[in-house]
Amino acid sequence: MKHQQYETWILMGKELNQGQQRELQSHLKGCSACLSLYKAVHQISHLFNTSPVLEPSPGFSTRWVTKIEKAENRKNQLILGVTLSVISLATLLLLSTVGLQIRSALAYFPQMMLEMVTLVANWIVFLNQLWDIVTPLVRVSMKLISPVWLYTIAVSLSGITGAWMISLFRSRTLQKELSA
Amino acid sequence: MCDTEQQWIAEAKAGDKDAFAKLVEKYQKPVFSVCYRMLGTPTAAEDAAQEAFIRAYQAIDRYDTSRSFATWVLSIASNYSIDQLRKKKVTILSMDNEKHAWLAPPDPGPSPEKAALEKEKLGQIQSLLTSLNEVDRAAVILQYWHDYSYEEIAETLDLSSSAVKSRLFRARQLMAEKWQGMQLPSAPPINSTAKRIAHETSTI
Repeated sequence: MKHQQYETWILMGKELNQGQQRELQSHLKGCSACLSLYKAVHQISHLFNTSPVLEPSPGFSTRWVTKIEKAENRKNQLILGVTLSVISLATLLLLSTVGLQIRSALAYFPQMMLEMVTLVANWIVFLNQLWDIVTPLVRVSMKLISPVWLYTIAVSLSGITGAWMISLFRSRTLQKELSA
Repeated sequence: MCDTEQQWIAEAKAGDKDAFAKLVEKYQKPVFSVCYRMLGTPTAAEDAAQEAFIRAYQAIDRYDTSRSFATWVLSIASNYSIDQLRKKKVTILSMDNEKHAWLAPPDPGPSPEKAALEKEKLGQIQSLLTSLNEVDRAAVILQYWHDYSYEEIAETLDLSSSAVKSRLFRARQLMAEKWQGMQLPSAPPINSTAKRIAHETSTI
């Protein structure tokens, strides 16, 4: 068997069967290089196995509790900080938007006011003119037409209006009867 | 896993910090040991072990109770230590660093000779381990100090069993070469190929 196979066996650890173990042992008797490797592997294994599992200094779990509490506090502070930052940013954005709207509205405010005043003034002018027409007409009519005529006209108009209302009512009743 | 431990895990999953502190108390030794062997200094090991437990606590919701808690928490500690080594944040300090003496492992015994011997052994172990890459080092530590099987190492380090076997094989080879060099400090390092050639020549 080639030399490399024995090296492989030595480095494989505890996986050799009894036949392989015997063959390896017989090879080691005549091969100083493999014997040196074999010794090195076993000395390392012994060194590791005789070295104890190390322990932390006392109070490890208490220190852990302190540390986790600090970590949680930091986390909570971070969450609070992020939340406050987001709220502040949102408020700032909202205020900026509202401010911009007000600013743009302010730019058109005088024009709007002017238009409103113009509209009101036009209405006043219109009503004034109407008043100027209607007032002399009524005054002249009162002087020229006797009260008897005025009453007659009023009664006639009332009668015409009443007749129109009755005709409307009757026509609707007739339509309902026809459709029924 | 005992019933008490399952109870602690259930309580920790419900957010009970004290229950998790009991798990920390139980597993502090193996976790610290892995971190110490990986990083080489008690200060770095303390920090890494603490951080590993913090990460475990924060991820306890994702812990699958059908798995071993020890394997899970050691997996977190190993991977965190590997990351630390990769980031090269850890400065490998001398074992004689008196500044961190308060964190050092317990005094091995009253005898100064024994203490000196233990210190020398620690130095040799760290020297051998630092010759390996981070993942190989973690595999060696889990096998030699925690008696993990190939499958358990594979699960812990998220590797395949065959990859673990191959990594451990390579690690033993590298450590053996280093060890041979340490035993003969004045001699030039022995190259395995050169040794093989010498052997083949001698057997002809």
